[in-house]
Amino acid sequence: MKISEFILEVKSGNIDKEDYINKVIDEAKKINKEYNYFNTIIEKPVINKGKLNGLPVSVKDCICVKDIESTAGSKILKGYAPLFNATAVQNSIDNGAVIIGKTSQDEFGFGGFNINVGIDFKIPLNPFDTERVTGGSSGGAAGYTQKTKFAHFAIAESTGGSIVNPASFCGVVGLCPTYGLVSRYGLIDYANSLDKIGIMAKNVEDAVTALNIIKGYDKKDSTSIKDTIDLTKFLNKDVKGLKIGVIKESLKVDKPVNKAVWNAIKDLEKLGIKYKEISLPLTYKYGIACYYLLAMTEASTNLAKYCGMRYGLHEELKGNFNEYFSQVRSLGFGKEVKRRIILGTFARMAGFRDAYYLKAAKVRTLITQEYRGLFKKFDILLSPTMPVIAPKFLDTLKLTPLQNYMMDILTVGPNLAGLPHMTIPCGQEKGMPIGLMLIADHLKESKLIQVAGAYERK
Amino acid sequence: MKENETMIGLECHVQLATKSKLFCNCPTDATEPNTATCPVCLGHPGSKPVLNKKALDFAIKLCLALGCKILPSIFFSRKTYFYPDMSKNYQITQYEIPIGVNGSITLDSGKKVNITRVHLEEDPARLVHEAGIYISEYTLVDYNRSGIPLCEIVTAPELSSPEEAREFLKKLITLLNYLKIFDIDKCIIRTDCNTSIKGYERVEIKNINSFKDVEKALGYEIERQKELIKNKLKVERETRAWDEATGTTITLRKKETEEDYGYLYDPDLTKIELSKEWVEKIKKELPEFAHEKVERFVRQYKIDKEDAKIIAADPLIVELFEKVANKIAPELAAHWIRRELLRVLNYNKKEIYETKITAQHLIELLFLIENKTITERTGQKIIEKLVEGPFDVKAYIENEGLVAVSNINELTKYCKDAMGENKKAVQDYKSGNEKALMFVVGAVMKKTKGKATPKEVNQILRKLIK
Amino acid sequence: MKIDNELILNVAKNARLNLTEDEISEFLPQLKEILESFSKIDKVNTKGIDPSFQPIEIKNVYRDDEIGKCLSQEEALKNTQHKKEGYFKGPKVI
Repeated sequence: MKISEFILEVKSGNIDKEDYINKVIDEAKKINKEYNYFNTIIEKPVINKGKLNGLPVSVKDCICVKDIESTAGSKILKGYAPLFNATAVQNSIDNGAVIIGKTSQDEFGFGGFNINVGIDFKIPLNPFDTERVTGGSSGGAAGYTQKTKFAHFAIAESTGGSIVNPASFCGVVGLCPTYGLVSRYGLIDYANSLDKIGIMAKNVEDAVTALNIIKGYDKKDSTSIKDTIDLTKFLNKDVKGLKIGVIKESLKVDKPVNKAVWNAIKDLEKLGIKYKEISLPLTYKYGIACYYLLAMTEASTNLAKYCGMRYGLHEELKGNFNEYFSQVRSLGFGKEVKRRIILGTFARMAGFRDAYYLKAAKVRTLITQEYRGLFKKFDILLSPTMPVIAPKFLDTLKLTPLQNYMMDILTVGPNLAGLPHMTIPCGQEKGMPIGLMLIADHLKESKLIQVAGAYERK
Repeated sequence: MKENETMIGLECHVQLATKSKLFCNCPTDATEPNTATCPVCLGHPGSKPVLNKKALDFAIKLCLALGCKILPSIFFSRKTYFYPDMSKNYQITQYEIPIGVNGSITLDSGKKVNITRVHLEEDPARLVHEAGIYISEYTLVDYNRSGIPLCEIVTAPELSSPEEAREFLKKLITLLNYLKIFDIDKCIIRTDCNTSIKGYERVEIKNINSFKDVEKALGYEIERQKELIKNKLKVERETRAWDEATGTTITLRKKETEEDYGYLYDPDLTKIELSKEWVEKIKKELPEFAHEKVERFVRQYKIDKEDAKIIAADPLIVELFEKVANKIAPELAAHWIRRELLRVLNYNKKEIYETKITAQHLIELLFLIENKTITERTGQKIIEKLVEGPFDVKAYIENEGLVAVSNINELTKYCKDAMGENKKAVQDYKSGNEKALMFVVGAVMKKTKGKATPKEVNQILRKLIK
Repeated sequence: MKIDNELILNVAKNARLNLTEDEISEFLPQLKEILESFSKIDKVNTKGIDPSFQPIEIKNVYRDDEIGKCLSQEEALKNTQHKKEGYFKGPKVI
């Protein structure tokens, strides 16, 4: 059931809000037993008044919900109940959404398969095949969005691809807006210049409805953009004559993925869209290094605050502050977190800062220029979302950390440049979904919506 | 060892008198611990900073007053280090480029002390060590202070003595008062001092709270270093703290391995362009400076230029003077403020804001002096007492019976009595010994318990002894 | 530039992380591989290029000097076990 349909059904009295939510919670608990999509399910959620008429909404665990445990998937924040709602959550509540739970993720967002969960957390399983990953870091959101039979949208988060990656692996729509379009106030930071709150939903219309609700200027976030456009009016716009740039380098992927994407391109052509192959050489050669260096340096400062004072994991207060802090942090952080903190700290230390942190920031300028130059000629850039279908858990264990990072090759580009991007299912292989990724210029979500909507309707 | 081989540089952290904190809306004053906090200044995950424009206005004002060159655009950085007073374990500060550079303050000797940079940063929380810093098993933390705007002013290592350091800080405080960006009752200045003897290691003394303590701490530290050098021992490069109780500096931590702060541009904040228009607007708001005041005082109040200079050096004294000069003859006001009030303050090593003397006290006192209700000597005594603590001047004079004896008949009676009791002196004066008259005047003063004016007594006696 | 145990330990110390022997021996080759791969960005010609610390140029964002609502003392202390008489308790500084 689409969100718009749900709203009408409630309005007409065919659906009782309370009853619906009870069923949603029951289903969520059942699903969770098998798939581990939630870190917290809210037993008796508050049914808020507003135009969404009691629509269930799940929230990634790194996005604060007042008085509900928000851990960002980490042991070091176990027991932390925020004193405020993230603005995106508050916007949803103000419009009549019902927050049903906190979805599972890689610890602090550090991962692309959702296998880097925090100590004592469970790994979510792919909704199509429980021996495969959901993708990450918003794995729980993607899995639940696919699995639930009820109307819903998921509030999720992306730093290097964490919305579109799991959305692609779980066969749902993932929409990551322009940096700054949705307020980051209340988002537990991974990397402040890269984090974006976005949406996962079962279809394009739902995703756009949801983005419309959560976006908007927030004076509590200095990087928030002033924007009041109603994105839903682009859903049914004609796409004839739009120009798409197909990213050459991105097609060097697994055969089934390549095939599914080309089929999608042909379908888009039938709708009147023109395409041309284009190249992003700098992005594809240096994007991973540039992204990870910036993300990790910022993350290493963002995670400095977790030290057993004021909130989160506490230990017995003994030893001096260096001893105490080190003890809490070493007990509370998982391996990948420790690795990234070390790398990030290193990259900004005196003597290395110029070669790593500052250099990466300059490369970022060039990468952004590379994309924006192409947007002068093209409305949309297109690529597969992920180079593979969701891998098996066993296969992921063979990968080194670097090989894990390399999986982000297709998604780091738009994330670095702050560009809005979207994934829609475009085929499948071995029963596993394949995602098609569309990228638009800054604040041109309208074009994404046009093309994605038209493609979905075909 | 020559005195000019001592090198002192200061880093002053000035709490700015804004209503709200630097990056959040919490108030900057609160008494009960942890009652002026929010998710931002507590460093809660998900909270984000938003810059307080007023703090930046104040910093620009200070830069202009110090003669700094103002940078065209600024941004903020994260200085990451771990300490129990840090709400995020990184401080939002300005590292790569400050707000202003190359300013100066000139000391009375004419020596120009260069100010290398002025920038903004947030204050960490306040630590309380219940049983003293060494014994406490834990630290108590109050985040009311966390996030208060600090303006950091860094000097070149050009100060050559503790006295110069003290003078520099006094002048800085005077300036901050003038600019109204600092509240003497509520705001604090904390100073870090870097001091070395030329050719030897530099020692940092952290977090000294008053300019008097700065002078004491530097005095002790320089001696300590000189002793070590004299005995051919090593001066360690380290960070020390000033221990008021023992009057010494003590080791906090060695500096061989400098903490690497790993500075990062803070992506939660934006670049701020300090446009010409913005800076011009603030320039227009600058108050009249000392030398302009001097010219105006001489012109408007017709007071002595030297008196004007001394009064104009301190805005609180200026305020006092202008209020008093409204009601009392300005020349008298200037004379008494400069030669009596300031004299007593200096003697007691007190600043005007440490006393509770108001313009009203002085107006009452000078009124009584103006119409000769009390003698100048009494007036001086009252000033000395006012510096110790405030009181009702009129009531005190009445209760203590300090009203001058100025009634001619009364005075004449005292004089006649004194002449009767000091016949030899009167004779000597009649014989041409001028000094003998002073003796009789003294006797009259004794009788009136000092409440007569010597000049008047002198005149009366001369008339009587004819 | 040499990536060895000593460097890892120094960086970990700076970040207040105690690493076990196992962790160090596991991390060393991983970090070496990663840094070697990332070092290739020094091949990029960035002469005359300004760094981008944000993806979109945002500037001149600030607020007025107004007081807003604060947390009560109780709310502020809510999420911690380490507290005493209205203060937060933290580890000692010496």
